[in-house]
Amino acid sequence: MQYKSQAVAKPYFIAAIGLFVGQIVFGLIMGLQYVIGDFLFPALPFNVARMVHTNLLIVWLLFGFMGAAYYMVPEESETELFSPKLALAMFWIFLVAGALTIVGYLFVPYATLAQMTGNDILATMGREFLEQPLITKVGIVVVALAFLFNISMTMLRGRKTAISMVLLLGLWGLAIFFLFSFYNPHNLVKDKYYWWWVVHLWVEGVWELILGALLAFVLIKVTGVDREVIEKWLYVIITLTLVTGIIGTGHHYYWIGAPEYWQWWGSVFSALEPIPFFAMTVFAFNMVNRRRREHPNRAATLWALGTGVMSFLGAGVWGFLHTLAPVNYYTHGSQITAAHGHMAFYGAYVMVVLTIISYAMPILRGRAANSNKAQVLEMWSFWLMTIAMVFITLFLTAAGILQVWLQRVSTTPLGFMATQEQVSLFYWMREWAGVAFFIGLVVYIASFFVNGEGEGQAATR
Amino acid sequence: MHATTTLPQRRLAGDLAIWFFILAELLAFGVFFAAYAFARARHAAEFDVAQQALNRDAGALNTLLLLSASALVVRAVQGAQAGQAGQGRRAAPWLLGAIVCGLGFVGVKLGEYAGAFAAGVSLSSSVFHMFYLSLTFFHFMHVLLGLVILAVLWAGLLAGRYGPDNLNGLESGAAYWHMVDLVWLILFPLVYVIH
Amino acid sequence: MSGTFTKSMARNIFYGGTVFFFLLFLALTFDSHREFPKRDNSQNLTPEVIAGKKIWETRNCIGCHTLLGEGAYFAPELGNVYTRRGPDFIKAWIQAQPTGTHGRRQMPQFNLSEQELDQLVAFLKYASEIKTGNWPPNIEG
Repeated sequence: MQYKSQAVAKPYFIAAIGLFVGQIVFGLIMGLQYVIGDFLFPALPFNVARMVHTNLLIVWLLFGFMGAAYYMVPEESETELFSPKLALAMFWIFLVAGALTIVGYLFVPYATLAQMTGNDILATMGREFLEQPLITKVGIVVVALAFLFNISMTMLRGRKTAISMVLLLGLWGLAIFFLFSFYNPHNLVKDKYYWWWVVHLWVEGVWELILGALLAFVLIKVTGVDREVIEKWLYVIITLTLVTGIIGTGHHYYWIGAPEYWQWWGSVFSALEPIPFFAMTVFAFNMVNRRRREHPNRAATLWALGTGVMSFLGAGVWGFLHTLAPVNYYTHGSQITAAHGHMAFYGAYVMVVLTIISYAMPILRGRAANSNKAQVLEMWSFWLMTIAMVFITLFLTAAGILQVWLQRVSTTPLGFMATQEQVSLFYWMREWAGVAFFIGLVVYIASFFVNGEGEGQAATR
Repeated sequence: MHATTTLPQRRLAGDLAIWFFILAELLAFGVFFAAYAFARARHAAEFDVAQQALNRDAGALNTLLLLSASALVVRAVQGAQAGQAGQGRRAAPWLLGAIVCGLGFVGVKLGEYAGAFAAGVSLSSSVFHMFYLSLTFFHFMHVLLGLVILAVLWAGLLAGRYGPDNLNGLESGAAYWHMVDLVWLILFPLVYVIH
Repeated sequence: MSGTFTKSMARNIFYGGTVFFFLLFLALTFDSHREFPKRDNSQNLTPEVIAGKKIWETRNCIGCHTLLGEGAYFAPELGNVYTRRGPDFIKAWIQAQPTGTHGRRQMPQFNLSEQELDQLVAFLKYASEIKTGNWPPNIEG
């Protein structure tokens, strides 16, 4: 660790992993509710479990991004963090607010929660992924602004690298587009139209800048390839991302009452969306092949390469699978969407956060890399979780294809619930793959507790 | 690109980064053209009728303007290449000429749009109109961006920034402009003429 | 083939390209707004429908159902439920929850008043009349 204020990243990373566990536990519960419909009902209805599952995902990724920024920006800017105290204070505020929100979801009926938290003043709740009570949303904005202030001030004081600029741009974009979550017009079409300005412009827009910056940072560190080379490729890749991704928003506008030309615009541009992901994969492998040093942290390198491959598969290939309007007409809102969502989030965002944690955490704990034993365990968890996610995706895809066939293509279409019963075998298999994922997660956590110091650690950095 | 290079090895004119961007843009246009062909095959009669209403003379004039602009850009690059270091200034009038031609294109296009909008053409009025407006407007925005780039390059020439020793920026901008021109050379016959 | 590849050029293209495509997106958004009134059924946005949308939101219906294909995929599409089932069935169904059938997916009882049920139905009717490009492919959603 070059700057002692980088240490504030540690609690962020630990909280991220803790919430990740919560997310998976609720995922398993939902997976079971898919096949045993009344499991845990009425104590935990599906909608509550899902809200917790998706909100925990978003929050732990945000913890990961913030931790990553606190770790990276001092090192990139070559100066101590503007205010480590503010960073720690925001950590606790965000964690407590997040926990209170989850407790509210779990123990207060949603309508009551809405009433208690000012939804009557400004109705923003009850929309997918934006279920948070108004006060939580305001809290997110406050925390984000304090965080951005801290990071921006640090950068202004020191060296401005391409990586930190791209990271900062992504983080500012994240905060700015979140403001659309406060816009909830009565007109359902407009509501949905701008809802995507948060959701799509996050995950297929500004978050990818963050992803690119994190990946580039780790690649510089583990490969020793010239910063100049990595940074210009970073620019090329994120250019392609935004060129295709911004208009690519149109692939969400096909069937929600927006003008029909979005079917053409959305199809054309989202057909190109796999290209930046492919470029990222090629880039990651290229840099590792051209490495000029053997970094002792092989696990981090594995995560970085995995991010490239899995984000291409999940976001690129599985996205393309159903992005063209004539295909999407049949697959829209089916299990195909769920399949894509799972692998894309895992491959792009989960894995990139685990990449930076894998690289930074040993250093935060005072060593260049973990012992060989700890790394082997971590790599086991990589393969377990990744392969499990591949199978979750494949089973959901199979379920989706069958669902589309029975319910939408067939000349004698089945009803929704009748179709669900027909595909339940795949839901069972998905659940078992989910269990395998959970085992992978347990192994991952165990890798932090095996003796980390040992032959693996070379001289610090 | 012009092949006046005397270097022993073939050299890519302009920055590799701009070529990635040009490739991406051409892909986007290419997919859009393919979509046009696909839609046209399904609505051939409707497309034929709607095509008749387009102003082909304005389109031809614009083709001429863009071709002239491209030729002038080539002269500007050659001029900067041939001059002494830092004497690219003498090539500036060529670029100014290109900018004037580009502005002419914008003017003609705006006139065409005014007429079309007055006639009730919109992105939602028919499939053909959707393609006509989408393709030409997407290209129109590229012309505007190209003009901004040419203006920056022009200012750079006047400031003596480019010469045989420093051509990267000038060649990159020129390459982008030629791409915009090339796209029009496909777009014009495709949308205005062929039926 | 040799060539130049500079970071400053890559950076300029990134910023220029981003601004360019965002402006294009804004232009299309602007045009969408002009077209919305023809498609979004906003002429039927009565106070009753608006109240119904709020009930829809505060019961987190989207946590199980989809609406115009967006939401969770655990329970049926409701964008066209008004045409599929009709108002009376919808009200009776909501009132009869949960079914308590062993092993079957359960919907909570929300204890909605008669007026709230009517508002919710009005919202679902409004949603069913939005022009969605003929989605879903059939009545089953």
